[in-house]
Amino acid sequence: MNEYKPDEFYIGYLPHTPSGVGRRLRMIVTGLLVLTVLTAVVLVLGQQRLRTGIFEFGDVRTFEGLMLARPIPVLLVARPGITGKLPVHSRYFIVAPGKHGADDLVGVFHYRQVKLKGTLVYRDGITMIEVVPDSIEAMPSNETRAQLPSIVARERRLHGEQVLTGEIVDSKCYLGVMSPGEAKPHRDCAVRCISGGVPPMFVVRHQNGERTLLWLMDRDGASVGNAVLDLVAEPVEITGEVRQEGDELFLRSDPKTYRRAPQISQHKER
Amino acid sequence: MSLTYGAIGWNRQKKIYDLVLACGIVLYLSLFIGLGAWLNPGATVETLLIRGFGTCALLLLHIVLIIGPLCRIDARFLPLLYNRRHLGVTTFIMGLAHAGLAIFQFHALGDLNPFVSLLVSNTRFFSLPDFPFQQLGFGALVILFLMASTSHDFWLANLSAPVWKRLHMSVYAAYALLIAHVTLGVLQAETNPLLAAALGAGLASVISLHLVSGSREVRADSHSSLSSFDGAGEFVDVCSVDEIAEKRARIVTLAGERVAVFKYDGKISVLSNVCQHQNGPLGEGRIVDGCVTCPWHGFQYLPDSGASPPPFIERVPTFRVKVDGGRVLVNPRPLPPGTRVEPARIDANASG
Repeated sequence: MNEYKPDEFYIGYLPHTPSGVGRRLRMIVTGLLVLTVLTAVVLVLGQQRLRTGIFEFGDVRTFEGLMLARPIPVLLVARPGITGKLPVHSRYFIVAPGKHGADDLVGVFHYRQVKLKGTLVYRDGITMIEVVPDSIEAMPSNETRAQLPSIVARERRLHGEQVLTGEIVDSKCYLGVMSPGEAKPHRDCAVRCISGGVPPMFVVRHQNGERTLLWLMDRDGASVGNAVLDLVAEPVEITGEVRQEGDELFLRSDPKTYRRAPQISQHKER
Repeated sequence: MSLTYGAIGWNRQKKIYDLVLACGIVLYLSLFIGLGAWLNPGATVETLLIRGFGTCALLLLHIVLIIGPLCRIDARFLPLLYNRRHLGVTTFIMGLAHAGLAIFQFHALGDLNPFVSLLVSNTRFFSLPDFPFQQLGFGALVILFLMASTSHDFWLANLSAPVWKRLHMSVYAAYALLIAHVTLGVLQAETNPLLAAALGAGLASVISLHLVSGSREVRADSHSSLSSFDGAGEFVDVCSVDEIAEKRARIVTLAGERVAVFKYDGKISVLSNVCQHQNGPLGEGRIVDGCVTCPWHGFQYLPDSGASPPPFIERVPTFRVKVDGGRVLVNPRPLPPGTRVEPARIDANASG
């Protein structure tokens, strides 16, 4: 019934397709549609499951706290009630909209109590605010500037010199603005974000699937900024001092000593 | 065939073709994005769209590329070729959607112009795993744009078929760039062998079908290549009259060029095998309504003159021919396109 008739000749601009050609054509089109479905299913199943960060896009909230503009802009918000052994502040890192850091927006508010509006980005216990430009206003302070250094110092833990292997990412995308916000496909975006002032972050992947996130600083505790651009989204080994401030980890090292690693592996300590 | 240029030359068959194409794309994108959102809730909408459009463009490009050799191997696939240009333009549109979203996602709203950012954000050209794959995809998109924007009979007529054909052969360069774009890009992060296998299967099918169809062409050319002249040294004995089916042709190679020897209504006419429209194989066509009809897009030529019937203006070279003792003899020197040649009469012992 479906036999092809050799005498039939298909001419596309004629209104009708010869019957044998038409039957064969329907079989070919059916095969192509099956191929379409199979391709879609295989390509979806083949992709790795993406880890979830959250960007509350469109949900603008108001925050109040103490602004530390340097080295990485962060808003310290006092935790309510008795914190016990927990840090007395929650830390909300601040970035600007787009692929920009917030240094220029928050510089004049360093060490001041402020109120600002922004959108939350969070993942794995780290929270960030994409601040609404011009929404930051100085407020009367409940804590004196003099108290803050002692609070920060009290919550500081030193974890010594370590050799860590991981990947440099831009913190904003990694924490949730993009998914995936890491690895090679995201490299150019990460370069653009870090170049625009978004603080770089170091992601150490452990064999048990867990990850450690560290903010990158130079040996003097200043932002490493553009010095890391050439190494973004690649396996990198960094030797440096790990510090903990509140819930956050910081890796202090001279960016000139960063070196490409053959592969990302479990980190070793020394 | 059409005498005037329209933005899109739709007819009933093309409408059906495009409708099926649109349904296929909607089916693919719905499945890819719907299933992707369900199984991978961590993926953002932008990521799903970028991946959906990109993989859709690559799938379409594979289909575009295998249609040619499939038709060379089996004429039953010819209806897919008829409207392949719409398939090609649709491939470009899917690629453009992928690239537009990706450039916005990865390069816009930053401290550089997005297109400058695309070119300078990654300059690790001497590292294979870190190679700047986005530039490769952009290069492919530029080629696909040039092809899509000239994918119209206006450009075909004004650039001439050989130039147009050469330009559109650059699809293979675009394909190579896209394979590298995917291999050095997303496959560096996605480690599931299923994805590499899918890409490998696509690449293998494109290469193997081209090799098979190419080897068949070479074999056919070697079997049909003729050079034994008659006593006067003017005509070459190409075949017996009986070897040619009525209203069809036999393709032979004379002086390195393929010619089509047509038999119809007790006559033999010989013209170039190359259609002026898109270099389609006229010898694989038929005589329809008294005209040689190209199997690719139905362009027609009068068999004795190689000229399209008025008001059309396409012309192909013709060849002098005679029949002697049941043998077809062809002068291998082509006459200027459109030159009328008296057909050879098929009478016993007649010579043309």
